[in-house]
Amino acid sequence: MTATAERQMELTLPMIPDIEIAAARAAGNLARELGMASESIDEMAHAIIEACINAREHSGSADKRIYVRITGTSLGENDSRIDIWISDRGKGFDVTEARSRRQKLGAAHKRGWGLQIIEAHMDEVGISTRPDGTTIHMVKFGRKGAAE
Amino acid sequence: MTDELRVALDRRGANGAILYTKGYINNVGGEEIANRAYELMDDGVRSLLLNLRETKIVNSIGISILIEIIEKMIDKGGRIGFCCLTPVIHKTFQIMGLANYAAIFADEESAIREMSL
Repeated sequence: MTATAERQMELTLPMIPDIEIAAARAAGNLARELGMASESIDEMAHAIIEACINAREHSGSADKRIYVRITGTSLGENDSRIDIWISDRGKGFDVTEARSRRQKLGAAHKRGWGLQIIEAHMDEVGISTRPDGTTIHMVKFGRKGAAE
Repeated sequence: MTDELRVALDRRGANGAILYTKGYINNVGGEEIANRAYELMDDGVRSLLLNLRETKIVNSIGISILIEIIEKMIDKGGRIGFCCLTPVIHKTFQIMGLANYAAIFADEESAIREMSL
């Protein structure tokens, strides 16, 4: 399968309330241009929202910016692929600890579910985190012709 | 930025109510729902349905507040149900375990019937 028609956008967003919606809408617009199905776009939007919230709430970055890069690629006639990178210049985090959290009513961990939500909604997720920043790379594959 | 949550109430007798949400359930939206829900609990409501038909986006902070509402209602011996969820919101509720502690209905009619509202 040959990858063609790559589209790309980059956003630098301030860490202000609800800015995650801007990133989700940008990716959604690009995905719709590629004909991705609406449910796949919704899943991708929720994952982007959680990634941006994690950066805003937990990164502790001095520059208070979220760096978003989105690429869209047609994979032949019927398929497409969206790649999203959400980056911050914060302090990094412990991925193993973040993955191990589980929800119970009455438990202390009502928060911290972003990573599980991201991994459930996206097809591929990669995390690069260091003491000077974190990048979450997410991939969503979608079939064309099912967009609403 | 946009999509501020709005909540509408349909009181159903002495013990029941339906809250209709419109917009993004984030921390602010979740707190708005919680305030309305706690007022209703204080007023005797023990069967509360949240109809999310006009909510298309939620986040984990908003859902964590919904879980707190469920906990308080369970403590009072009542129950909370949800209806009209998008498939992605339904999936997110399942990921966070909310679906284990509250009933989820496909449509309002079945929710009203099952919850005797």
